This record gives sequence, C-alpha cells and structure tokens, in this order.
Amino acid sequence: MRVIAFATLGALAATTPVIAQDLVTRDRVGLPDAPNVMTFRLTPYDLYSADAATAEHFAGLFEEFIRARPDWRIETQLQTGDIGPEQARLLQQTQAGRGPDCAMVDSSQLALFRQTGVLQPMNMVFSEQEVADLFPYVREAVTNAEGDVLAWWWFTDLRVLYRDTSVVPDAPATWEETQAAALQAAEAGREGILFNAGRWEGTAFDWLANFWSQGGRLVDDTGAPVFGEGENRQRFLDAIAYYTGLVESGAAPARVTSITNYDAFNAAAAAGTAAMFVGGNWQFGQLRNTLPPDQFANWAVSELPGPTADQRATGTGGWAIAALSEDPEKRALCGEMVKEIYAGPGNAYQGLLPTSAALYDEYDAYEGAEFDLFAEALENGVARPGAAIYPEISNQIQILLGDVLSGAAEPEAALDAAFAAAQAAYARQ
Amino acid sequence: MTTARGPAPADGRPWPWLVPAVLFLAAFYAVPVVDVVRLAFSDATLIRAPERWSTDALRALMRDPALREVLVTTVVFTAVNVVALQAMGLLITLTLVRGEARGLRGMTAFRTLVLAAWVVPGIANGLIWQILFDEAPYGTLNSLLGFAGLGPVAWLSDPDMALASAVIANLWQGTAFSMIVFYAARRGIDPTLYEVAAIDGASPWRTFRSVTLPLLRTAIAVNTVLVAVQTLNTFDAILALTGGGPGRATEVLSLFTFNTVFYNLDLAGGSVLALILFLLAMVMATLVFGWLGRER
Repeated sequence: MRVIAFATLGALAATTPVIAQDLVTRDRVGLPDAPNVMTFRLTPYDLYSADAATAEHFAGLFEEFIRARPDWRIETQLQTGDIGPEQARLLQQTQAGRGPDCAMVDSSQLALFRQTGVLQPMNMVFSEQEVADLFPYVREAVTNAEGDVLAWWWFTDLRVLYRDTSVVPDAPATWEETQAAALQAAEAGREGILFNAGRWEGTAFDWLANFWSQGGRLVDDTGAPVFGEGENRQRFLDAIAYYTGLVESGAAPARVTSITNYDAFNAAAAAGTAAMFVGGNWQFGQLRNTLPPDQFANWAVSELPGPTADQRATGTGGWAIAALSEDPEKRALCGEMVKEIYAGPGNAYQGLLPTSAALYDEYDAYEGAEFDLFAEALENGVARPGAAIYPEISNQIQILLGDVLSGAAEPEAALDAAFAAAQAAYARQ
Repeated sequence: MTTARGPAPADGRPWPWLVPAVLFLAAFYAVPVVDVVRLAFSDATLIRAPERWSTDALRALMRDPALREVLVTTVVFTAVNVVALQAMGLLITLTLVRGEARGLRGMTAFRTLVLAAWVVPGIANGLIWQILFDEAPYGTLNSLLGFAGLGPVAWLSDPDMALASAVIANLWQGTAFSMIVFYAARRGIDPTLYEVAAIDGASPWRTFRSVTLPLLRTAIAVNTVLVAVQTLNTFDAILALTGGGPGRATEVLSLFTFNTVFYNLDLAGGSVLALILFLLAMVMATLVFGWLGRER
C-alpha cells in the first residue's frame, strides 16, 4: 500500500513542483512517514547551498535517489563552515552514540576519525576496481590494511598561483621569480601578490606548500611534531623567509595578515587591483562567473612556485563521506548516496575535482585546459597529516606567520615558540 | 485600621517551600559549573573521556607563555571597553534626555538606531566591521579617509591597530546596553532636583557632577559588572573580525578557550581557562559591589 502511495506521489511529483519540493525540505529527503530513517550531516555547499541553482540541482539528484528507495527517509543535519569545531563536535557525538548515521568528514580529519574507530566499512557498495581507480593518496586515506572502504573522499582540491597575464605574462616557477614579478607589478600600481596570512586554516594550509616542496615534514610516523627540529627546521625557516621577503620588499602588501578568506582574492581580481594571488582551484570557475569575459581572459593559473623550478608542492584537501552507523542497511545507503549523487554528478556540476581518474574522462565538465593543469599539479599534491595534533600545528603556524609578517616577532624565535607549543599540546593529547 | 490575614505558608517553616526552587536553580546553574571544575582536574580531551585526575592541565597552562599574552590582551580589551561603553552610553543617554526635554524631534529614531546595533548577532557584527575595515585599495573606511586626504590605516593588519579595531566593533554593538541601563536610571531621578539646581543657578556641568552622577552611581556599578562580564565573554565578533590575529594580537581569553577546546581538543585545558574566566568575573563583581556597599 505504501509503495502504491509513493508511486502515486512520485507520478504527481513529476508534474507538480509543489509536491516535488515536499520530497526535499530543510531537514528531510523523502516522505515524512517512510519507515526507515538515515540521518546525514552535510555541509552547506550542495543541497543547501546559498546558490539557488546549485541547491536546485542537488535537490533533483536527491529526489531521483529517494524515489528509487521509497521506504527510506534521509534526515539531514546541516553543519556550518566552521570546520574545526564542527568536526570535533561530530566526532564527540559519534563516540557518545549520538552522531548521525552518515556524515561529511573533512579530508584533513579523516585520519583522526579512523584512529578513533568510528568509521564503518561500506565495502558492499564500492568495487575493487573503483577503489583501485582512486588517486593513491586518496586510496590510502579511505582504506585500511584489510581493504575495508572506511569512507569515500568524493572531491579533492588544490592550491595554485593565479596571475593577470596582462601584468605578469609568464608563470613564475620559483620563489625568486615570483618576488621579481610581484615587485614589477607593484611598481606598476598593482598589489603584486596576495595570499592568506590572517588567523585561519587557509593561511597555514596554503603556506605549507612552501615547506612541503622542500621535503619538510610536520609530524613523524607516530604523529609527533617534528617541524622545528633537524632538517625540517631550516626548511621551515626558508619557507617563512619567502613570505617575509614578499612583504618586506613590497611585493605583497602588509594587509595580507588580515586576509582570512579566499573571497578577498576574487574581489581584488574583479577590482583589477591584484596581479597575482595564491588561491584554490575552485576559484577559477568563480572568476569565470564573476569577471567580464575580456577581463577573465587575462587570468591564468599555474603551479605554485617552489624554491627551485623542480621543487613543487601543493596542499590538497576536499571532503569525504563516511558511514558512522553499524547498521549494514544504513552503511549501504550512505555509500549508494555518495556514488549516485556526489562522486560523479555532484563533482561535474560544481566543477569539483574527482578523486578517481575515470571520472575526468566521463564528464565533459573536465575538458577545459585548466583541468590539465590541475591534474598535473595534483602529481605534487600533499595532504595534511592525519594526526590529531595537526589542528594545533596549523593554529601555531597561523600565529607565527601573523607575528612575523607584521613585524611582531623574529622568525627563529617564533618557530621556537610554535614548536614548543605544539610539543606541549601533543604531550597533553 | 489593620488588615487581618491568616498565616501564610512560609510564615513558620519557609524551607520546605524554598527547597524545590533552590534545588532546581542549583541543578540548572551549579551542575554545569561543577562539571567544568571536574573536567579541569582531569586529562579529558574532546575525543577521550577523563581517565585520571590531576592538576596537569592547570600546570601546563601556567607554563604556557601564550596565557600571559592572552591575559594582557583580555585586560586591555575589557578595561577600555568598560570605560568607553559607559562613557558612550552615558553621553547618548544625556543627549536623549536633553533632546526629549526640549521636545526635539527624532529622538525616538535616534534611540532606535542605537538599539539596532545591539540586536545584530556577534558574528554579523564582526563581518560588518571586517568589510568596513578592509585594507584593500577599495576598502570602505580607507576610501573615505582617502577622500579627506587621510590614511590609509592598517585597521586589521597592524597588531596594535587590530585591537583598537576590535574595541571599535564591540563599542558599536555594546553601547546600546549601557544606554538602556543609564536611560532607565536617569529617568528615575526626581525632576525636582533639577528644578532646584536650576533655581540655585547651577551650571550644566555642576548639575551633572552634583545631581546626575551621584544618583547614577548604583546604575554605573551594576552596569560596570554587566558590561565587563559581557566583554570578557566576547569572542564571536572577534572570531569573525580577526580570528584573534594577526598573530595573537586580538586573542582574548574566551577565544583562547574556544581554540584550546576545538583546535587543540584539550577539554581539560579549556575547562581551566573557563574557570579563570569565571574567577575574573567573580572577583570583579565582588570588588564593584563591595565598593558600592561601602559607599552606602
């Protein structure tokens, strides 16, 4: 009877927008009286995106998904963009048995979730071939030694150097070339190069590429901080010196220490005041949608410069979806949702980089030249260490960069303080 | 003539009647505080329940050089705000009362305008001021200053200026509260006193010093405590405005507590910091009310 009722409703939904909307509300996907319930905690960037077109597209994907499963209802829980606290809360609730059945987990937090044993396998959904097709660093992060699929990292991202080719025609490959090009642009009245240096995660993550490109390591194999000792220390100081040189020479404005979001770069590009900036790959699409075509045509992306042209790295992030319930039916539903909505159709619609090589060929959305560059840069991709101490190391790097770039501290003393603080925090964990 | 009445339930033994309310209030307010005390003497993290009891968290924080820096920032931020919030609140109150006494139009609109800032959420306050303080070539305040041939000012990138900017954002939002307290107190002063002062030929300053200020003393004391506690707990506006940076330039104790728990996952350390915050507020309240009691 319920199936008949659902089929009738489904048929009506196809022709009646009002009823179609009822299948996707602010806290539910599916019929309100469906007997089986899966709770799903998601970010506000797709189904509940502030962008109406994105939200509508995902609502369509979810409707199609739930129509094929009339006995299920997905109760949605929205998490805010304040990643650190949100993910900490999610983990704490899951450990206490009050977490959702399925949730989006930031890629930088995956290892922490794995360590605590809250991730439940979704092997029944993903084939060995699909797992094998994942990028190596992704496969390593989502599978364990037994081959269990503990989560599905559905999109990745990376940091690149954006430049206005009318001011900086050639892509700088080294730190030295970057400073020279930025200085030249500054002399022409532009802000030479912009980057995050305010107090937020983006600052540490973007800057870490300069440390990683030299082979620097933040933590050792046991997860203990090592960035302030041995060879890592000099690599760390050299990476600080690169940013300090940019600010002190005037190649970058002092205001970088107040930049705490990527939107500031889009605004500067739109205003025509910046020559270069260190941004995320997703900003390419944003610039295309924001700038007039002739202005957008001047913008190009390239790999982040390194100390030498051969030493390159870029931070890779993104989001995974994981089952947190032990119920096999819910684990399966969670995996199927990832497969049918997010990893593939969701990637392509938003221009988010898939973590599986096959998807780049499957969708026309990845035909632009920029995606070739992103794929090339991903070869040098480095994920944040999956250690519980990482958030505190990031916090210390943010403080250090703010202090050094604003002239409040000397690099060596700031590094000593940051390393001591990270070690003390590690000891407390 | 006296009114006869029967014995009230609480006349003989009040405790049986009071106990339920006392127990409810104790459970509602005391239990969370006791739990924070318990966690402060544990090794709890956000992902691990307490396993042993010690003063390690307290000792680790006492050794942390950041705590001193954060406390100095907190004291400066709170002290400047408490003084400035009251001065601005009093100024606006006196302007309003004088305007109303003279029948000036627009006083209600003026009062509403000030109150409008008060209802803005802290996060929104931080974001609004972040846009205004933007140091980009097209930033709002710097552009305005530029028209006047001034600036640009490093509102958020200079450590000292960033703290001043955080104070400005907090003042914009918090002044309305002081205004409400002072406005109510000022309206409660007997108008006859002002008539007598006028007959005696007292100047406006003398009237303020000898009539208004002494009679607002209780309101000032109460407001000092309330505003100080509010300011000590301010972290959402700063989080949105500067995130505590550059460096630790604007990281106040409440934000440091938030970072300790949610970034460092150190629940025990965060609980110690919460207790320090609690003690600071209690000491200040005791001092202010003690001073008030002596004055009486």
